[in-house]
Amino acid sequence: MTRSVWKGPFVDGYILKKAEAARSSGRKDVIKTWSRRSTILPQFVGVTFGVYNGHKHIPVLVTEDMVGHKLGEFSPTRTFHGHTGGGDKKAKRS
Amino acid sequence: MAQDRPVTLAAITGAHGVTGEVRLKLFGEGVAALRRYRAFNDSSLSLEKLKDDGKGGAIARFAEVADRNAAEALRGTALTVPRSALPPLGEGEYYHADLIGLPAISTTGEPLGTVVAVENFGAGDVLEIERESGRRFMVPMTTGAVPEWNEERVVVDAAFVEA
Repeated sequence: MTRSVWKGPFVDGYILKKAEAARSSGRKDVIKTWSRRSTILPQFVGVTFGVYNGHKHIPVLVTEDMVGHKLGEFSPTRTFHGHTGGGDKKAKRS
Repeated sequence: MAQDRPVTLAAITGAHGVTGEVRLKLFGEGVAALRRYRAFNDSSLSLEKLKDDGKGGAIARFAEVADRNAAEALRGTALTVPRSALPPLGEGEYYHADLIGLPAISTTGEPLGTVVAVENFGAGDVLEIERESGRRFMVPMTTGAVPEWNEERVVVDAAFVEA
């Protein structure tokens, strides 16, 4: 069952405070969090969270298209890490 | 960066059928990207045919492989091309293979270790850096966190460095 709309999105209060403090101060370091359950709000765009996956904190730079998802969705707990030779995979720095 | 350094694009996982075709596990951008290369492993394997297997891999036929026994013997072989054979990069682009193995330093000049992996969990590329002690930490591949990189090193903003 989906969450009732009248409740609004769930987010741990301390994350909101830290993210707003980081945005207002212009600090760009990683905000470590264990709160995988928190919904990504528009206020988080541009902030980098270190989302714990049970093993380490994965850096997650929040972008506009991630709003509405949970932080935990971007920090997999069971990722297969083999074969990272790179191949001809290329990317562009964001 | 050594332009003749071999870059592994795929590996042979076994034989397919009885006519010498092989199954491939792809490490790069996919079948379409692999199709642009005709020779692998210093031209010891010449690609004749390549098709998608529909399961994320590919099925290939090499001119030098005539039957199933020869195909079985190639199981585990990595298919490499020289780095210089990869298509040129656009502005701000990088190959994952170019970053892996580069030493990392912070903006304050502190040596941090070596880039051991480039991951992407859905929120952009993330560099995994291993310190000399064996501890690893991750840095997002963003303008703020990685202000510059070249063939010799990756520079990481000191604010993103984990102790």
